[in-house]
Amino acid sequence: MKVNRTAYSIALLPLAAVFLLLRGGALAEEKPQPKIHASAIQILMVQSDEVTLPIEFRLALYENLIEHIQTTNKFQHVYRDGDPAATTVPDLIVLHSNVYGFKKGSEEKRQVTTVSGATSIKVHCLFTDKTGRSELAQDVTGEVRFMGGNLRATLDFAKKVANVVVNNFQ
Amino acid sequence: MGRALFLLCAVTSILMGVGLRAVSCVAQGANTSPISFPGSKHVLGLEGLKHNASGTLLVENSSLVFKKDKKTAVVPTASITEVLTGKDTERTIGGMVGTLTLFAPYGSGRFLSLFRTKIDTLAIEYLDPAGGIHGAVFTLHQGNALGAKQALLNQGAKTSVPIEVEAAAQAPRKAKKQQ
Repeated sequence: MKVNRTAYSIALLPLAAVFLLLRGGALAEEKPQPKIHASAIQILMVQSDEVTLPIEFRLALYENLIEHIQTTNKFQHVYRDGDPAATTVPDLIVLHSNVYGFKKGSEEKRQVTTVSGATSIKVHCLFTDKTGRSELAQDVTGEVRFMGGNLRATLDFAKKVANVVVNNFQ
Repeated sequence: MGRALFLLCAVTSILMGVGLRAVSCVAQGANTSPISFPGSKHVLGLEGLKHNASGTLLVENSSLVFKKDKKTAVVPTASITEVLTGKDTERTIGGMVGTLTLFAPYGSGRFLSLFRTKIDTLAIEYLDPAGGIHGAVFTLHQGNALGAKQALLNQGAKTSVPIEVEAAAQAPRKAKKQQ
């Protein structure tokens, strides 16, 4: 009986080793990436090369983005597209946003049926340095599924991008 | 009897004049008297004003002005690089009351959601003195957006879509068929 227990222990050793190795690998993957440091960000006007986006959505995405990134307090300055003062900042981060998916829903349908009529906007967000070198890229989706007008999807998008900024910038 | 008829005619002509005032201003173009659009809503974009603030949109002295109580936002028309209009609908019973009706029993809130009011949207893109791009979106009563756009264009704003093209695109289907 004692022999059997020892044999079991020996047999389990490789399994334990594999488990520890996998766990170590997973821990290495979970290790947070170093946060990006920048004193200012310039937010470029939202582009929609692949889909037709109504101008009110484009403007709402841009304005909400600026408003919510300002509230994160991660940057000393948030520059708008076209502001020449941004070029003087040495560690400037530039945010490029390109809409690649847009589905305009219906507020009426949402309120009547609850399950249909959602509006969604899929945007590829790319944070680069001044030279255009990519620092961070992420796809963000803004949605409105129940309460509020269609433009509320742009607010949802801006909040999610602000979260990305909080998680990835010093 | 004659005096009453005269009075009636006079009152009618004055009322018609007031009603057509905005239209005539737009048509003449050269008239610089302010053109106002009361009952407009600032959806977003103007600094110093809250989102979805109701107020009066004015086009006067080569500026777009939005007044909400004592707060005023001014955008010079020369700095406006794009003006586009559109059509949309909103809940007839909106705001906090509209939200509360959603919790009304027997789906009556959902039924009330079916009552909607047609509105016009006006979106502008403009530059601040530093050269930064801004955007602002407004909603106006139905049929006012093209007038507001024309007034802005007359006072120096620019657009990529001529007003005739937008008017044709927004014309009702019946009118399009007749053409």
